[in-house]
Amino acid sequence: MNRHTLFGGAYAIAFFSFLFGPLIIMSMTAFNSSRFPRVSPWECFTTGWFNELFGNARLMEGLLNSVIIGVGVVALAVPIGLAGALALSELPAKLRAALYTVLILPILIPGVVLGISTIVLWGQISRGMGAGFLYNGYFLTIVGQITFVSAYAMLVFIARLQRFDATQTEAALDLGATPGQAFRKILLPFMAPAIGSAAFITLLASFENYNTTVFTVLSESTFTTALASKVRHGTDPSLSALAVIIITITLVGALTNEALQRRKEAEMGGRASRSPLYLNPVTRTLTHPGVVLAILVAVIGGISYAGSQHDSSVCEAGVLQEKLDRQEELRAAQRAKIEAMEAEQEKTLPKSNSAFGGAFGGLGTPAPAPEPAPKPESPSAFGGAFGGITAPKTDE
Amino acid sequence: MKHLKAAYTTLAARHGMGAALFVAIAVTLWVVVFITLPQLSMLDYSFRFNLPVDQLGTDADHYTLEQYRSFFFNNDGSINTLDITILVRTLVAALIVTAIDVIICYPIAYILAHGANGVAARLMVIGLIIPYWINEILRAFAFRVLFGATGVVNTWGMQLGLWDAPIDFIRADVALYCGLAYAYILLMIFPIYNAVEALDHTQVEAARDMGAPLWRVHWRVVLPMAKPGIASGATMVFMLTAGALAAPQILGGPSSLWFTQVIYQWFNESSNWPRGSAYAVVLLVTCISFVLLMMRVFKVSVGEIGK
Amino acid sequence: MPDRSVLLDHITIRFGNFTAVDNANLKINSGEFFSFLGPSGCGKTTMLRCISGFSEPTEGKVLIGGKDMAGVGPNKRPTALIFQHLALFPLMTVAENIAFPLEVRGVSKKERRKKADELLEMIALPGIGDKKPGELSGGQKQRVAIARALAVEPDILLLDEPLSALDLKLRQHMRTELRAIQKQVGVTFIYITHDQGEALTMSDRVAVMSRGVIEQVGEPDRIYNRPRSAFVASFVGENNAVEGIIKGQSGETAALETPMGTFEARVGGGRKYKAGDKALLFVRPEQLIPGESANAFQSVLSRQEFEGATNHVFANTGDQELRISMVNAGLAGSLPGQGETLSLGFRPLNATILPVGHMASEA
Repeated sequence: MNRHTLFGGAYAIAFFSFLFGPLIIMSMTAFNSSRFPRVSPWECFTTGWFNELFGNARLMEGLLNSVIIGVGVVALAVPIGLAGALALSELPAKLRAALYTVLILPILIPGVVLGISTIVLWGQISRGMGAGFLYNGYFLTIVGQITFVSAYAMLVFIARLQRFDATQTEAALDLGATPGQAFRKILLPFMAPAIGSAAFITLLASFENYNTTVFTVLSESTFTTALASKVRHGTDPSLSALAVIIITITLVGALTNEALQRRKEAEMGGRASRSPLYLNPVTRTLTHPGVVLAILVAVIGGISYAGSQHDSSVCEAGVLQEKLDRQEELRAAQRAKIEAMEAEQEKTLPKSNSAFGGAFGGLGTPAPAPEPAPKPESPSAFGGAFGGITAPKTDE
Repeated sequence: MKHLKAAYTTLAARHGMGAALFVAIAVTLWVVVFITLPQLSMLDYSFRFNLPVDQLGTDADHYTLEQYRSFFFNNDGSINTLDITILVRTLVAALIVTAIDVIICYPIAYILAHGANGVAARLMVIGLIIPYWINEILRAFAFRVLFGATGVVNTWGMQLGLWDAPIDFIRADVALYCGLAYAYILLMIFPIYNAVEALDHTQVEAARDMGAPLWRVHWRVVLPMAKPGIASGATMVFMLTAGALAAPQILGGPSSLWFTQVIYQWFNESSNWPRGSAYAVVLLVTCISFVLLMMRVFKVSVGEIGK
Repeated sequence: MPDRSVLLDHITIRFGNFTAVDNANLKINSGEFFSFLGPSGCGKTTMLRCISGFSEPTEGKVLIGGKDMAGVGPNKRPTALIFQHLALFPLMTVAENIAFPLEVRGVSKKERRKKADELLEMIALPGIGDKKPGELSGGQKQRVAIARALAVEPDILLLDEPLSALDLKLRQHMRTELRAIQKQVGVTFIYITHDQGEALTMSDRVAVMSRGVIEQVGEPDRIYNRPRSAFVASFVGENNAVEGIIKGQSGETAALETPMGTFEARVGGGRKYKAGDKALLFVRPEQLIPGESANAFQSVLSRQEFEGATNHVFANTGDQELRISMVNAGLAGSLPGQGETLSLGFRPLNATILPVGHMASEA
């Protein structure tokens, strides 16, 4: 291993730490009983945030809306994207470049602009034609999202079409198929995997979208807009719990997909009949994507059940008591400090105040904040005041 | 028009009348109803007054530059520094985020294309895609957890003795920049990867063999190849960052607004749609012209280096 | 016996200003194995697509079985095409591939399977019906493609360089096999190739094409021994070309004055020359015989290339380099050494005088 590979490896590790670190830490906070999502101090292991999550009516309602909208978007954006890809494949180069630019533009246009233009247009149409029923959150969100989501689908289809051997269609025609038959029996089956991934990507894009949806959804809310308003108005670890669920689903999906891809490759390449992995009936079954999925689901189900049986109330009560005691102590200590400080204020250097950082706030109780107005030149020292519960480390 | 008709005919001959009709209708619908009309409608709206419904269509409802005027000037005629500053700051911040992404993504794209072998490369691709599947809001939330006053960064930083009081990363926009850079990493890596992958690895080896140090190999051999990928990745990242709304809302400090947030306020808080439309047009036009300008600058400068 | 002939009636095909096929006019007989031979870009694939119906001729008519094919699409013609890369459908099994023509004609599933199995039997690959094309070897794919094309029961089978992707051994084996299949089914085969070995060994007749023009049509031995143009003489097999000026013609032969001397040779294509006309003399390497008294001349041996059964000897006379093929006489024989003078000659009937024209290397 030479110096460059070493550097490359180290860089890759650093990079993926940046990619996964935030997700891992966020996931950990889902199991900490602390009201504010954080890993230290670790209070009690709990699964309570998952219950809290499922109990959030607004999120659950948003989830339903997202599913309705997602289905609508997939049903329209996938065919539109396919049509776009097919149209591009038949146009002469110059016109193709122009159409491509037009069709890809919605991906680049800021989502808020798409959202605004959609509600403005359909607002005018519904007023002008007296068709008020068009002016509802579901319809507008579907229409607004299709504009750019179709382009994602189109990109998937273009990539697949580029690998299509046009002589396949010619062969079908030559063998007596009508153009329509060739399209249905040769091109569409070839596109099938791409239709699957396009459907998946468009669903995900529709589900995830915020910038456009926040305008078009009007008074309704989707999962993502509900989530965003929750994050903006005070956070708690139930969001981390949600992240854990999504990450788990993603990982299961990725692993199953990997198993599926490998199997397909092996079969297509004729390798399946030679590889010992596929000849042995036990390993053959174990590597079947369906079995992989079933095992993963079973394991996660087991863990979830075990987790739901976990009771952290005793531990939490202990921590609460500890905190209350500690707060009392702190209050006393602070009073003493402030008194001492006031006495010596002329001599003390301003920076000593930073020692108070984060010492404020409390478990739902009004912060005992003496809000020692002094020293506006170091406001950052009080950043911890937004933080929630007292961090014991800070007053050392 | 002639070309469109010819394309339609070939399409019908190759895939059948049904398929050709479907393509023609779907693409027309997309281009006209979904892409063009809404933008025109928004443009039209931005030149109108914000009138109550009962005054629409009356004499008061005529075209005006008022909405644009209010972007540039205050009511007293002085320059509207507030909104202009926000726009400029948004663009600068988007530029910084784009630059950060180019810098951190280029090595990974290169390693992915030429350094990693089968299994490692596969794992890397999966590893790149997985974070992208997590909801945008949750990704921003993760950075809030990370950079909060009692977040991991502050806790560790203080434990290591790097600083002794929690730093407000949110107010300092560090969390925002990190969150935005994180959000669009994938959009930067894959275009660069696609461009660099086309490079024959023996070229790199040949250059190394001739005694060029690694940085020079990249500067003279790999980077010119990656240029189109960087350009397209940078375009996407810049546009999406400048147009971001969720991350600034969640991670932005209380004093630093993103221009999209201003638009959002005109719509959802002030209910002034024409004003919001005008601001949206300003954002769109500025972003697109900026990208076109940068591409031109980028091309020229790199083109000279390539020689 | 149905009429399986193809008549190309003054076909011209243009793409914009480019003429891909220029006034092709020939008849391919019913049940014949007919090849179009030429370098890439000579128009042979365009010709094939025109016969199969993927493109229409700019001028002229294609008649199959005596019927004008104008406006008849590829799916309606009694032709089947085997593509260069075979175009087997990767997502279908072998049996589904073979039965595809029947599927689109609405034949029942059971019937289709029966026919597919019959055809697999015919190409000597029974029992592979449930495999995917990806699992087959190159030769097997080849045969499956033929079976699929034959499933339509076409009158004409068109083959577009189908052997070019195979390795040498398999290619030679498939030549024999193709020929055997053709004899068995009695269908007219129209074969496109740039490989003269394939064209000469398999075909009943060959058309040599260059720059969109059919240069010569005939049986393989006539193409080789009686070329009608400089292009055919230089493209098919090895040949030595020597420029010269006609001194006079007497019936089948003429005298040509060249820098190497004046030679008498057969006049190609039954042409008439006047004294003073420029012309080319073509003598094949195996027709240059050491010690032959007819058309004798002297040359100096410059180098040799040994290739087992034959020795390729190169000799110079003035500026002209000549290629001579000599059968390896084994240890008992002897060869002149480098720099030695070699006395060569050739029989007048075994050399051809042709008008000056473009050569294979310039095509």
